[in-house]
Amino acid sequence: MSATVADLIDRALGGLDVLVATAEPVSDEWQYITDLGIVWRARLRAVADQRGSEVTPPATAAAIDELVAEAGRIADPHRAIDWLSTFPQVALAALGEAG
Amino acid sequence: MRFGDPRPDGRAIVYAQIQADPLVARAATQLEAATTTQRLLARAAMNGESTDPVVWRTMFPTLFGPSAPPPGDAVRDRSEAILVIALEVAERGEQTRSQFRGAIVEALTERLLAARTGPVRRERRILFDGVPAEIHPYDVTVEHETAAEAWDCKWGARGIKADVLHQLDDARRHAAGEGERLLVGLVVFDARRSSEVRLVRERGPIALEGLKLVALEGLDRLAGRKPT
Repeated sequence: MSATVADLIDRALGGLDVLVATAEPVSDEWQYITDLGIVWRARLRAVADQRGSEVTPPATAAAIDELVAEAGRIADPHRAIDWLSTFPQVALAALGEAG
Repeated sequence: MRFGDPRPDGRAIVYAQIQADPLVARAATQLEAATTTQRLLARAAMNGESTDPVVWRTMFPTLFGPSAPPPGDAVRDRSEAILVIALEVAERGEQTRSQFRGAIVEALTERLLAARTGPVRRERRILFDGVPAEIHPYDVTVEHETAAEAWDCKWGARGIKADVLHQLDDARRHAAGEGERLLVGLVVFDARRSSEVRLVRERGPIALEGLKLVALEGLDRLAGRKPT
């Protein structure tokens, strides 16, 4: 069954949560980590609100799944902070959205 | 206001070797003509865990998927070249790749600025009468007689720190005090949204109106071009 944009945004938000958890040990960047989580979740949810029911091609679903898997492979908290910005951009690009 | 070379120190000598590595020039050449998504691919792959190109081709369907330009197309070939270079950087190890990434952003900035204006220089100080010189040189400067510019380059938004903002703001104000115009700015190889989040937190008393922010999506503006 084909995934909708809303399905893929849900998966992406799960990946973002994983990155936030990985980044959290960097206590002096706690506020930045929190701020990034807030603004990027809002951006991703805005796409779901606008295009949620849209059916996506298999390549888009595969892209999001690979992206979430990559987020799960990141163990270094400092790299996770960098990825808190990169991850949503890649997700949005896969969905044909601007950052 | 005048420009000058910084005193050479150990860090600069080591970093100069990174800057001169052919991999940096190859990356900057490809990224100069790249689209925003291709630049995002470079950012992601240079900072990822996976070094298998299949993973990254899957992650970027608009560059490599069924609807992407076919192999042999110039855009597709550039995507492939950028992926190869990005993974070469990623395989250098954490410390080294961090230095390479910074050098690549500076080299890219230099090339993009040179497409619009000049002369463009790297690692230069800006000196003002009666003002002690800053310790850290500016990454890239445009030393045009009537339209000078000073740019600090960052791989990621997290690199935006209060001391960097202060140095740029001080330079702009000192130039104005001498009746000169100096455009100051940050080039950040990261999303504008993330950069703005960081700027707001780090700005302190600095008025951001005097500071240009050029993020990953808008890099072509450095060259006087519209983003692609």
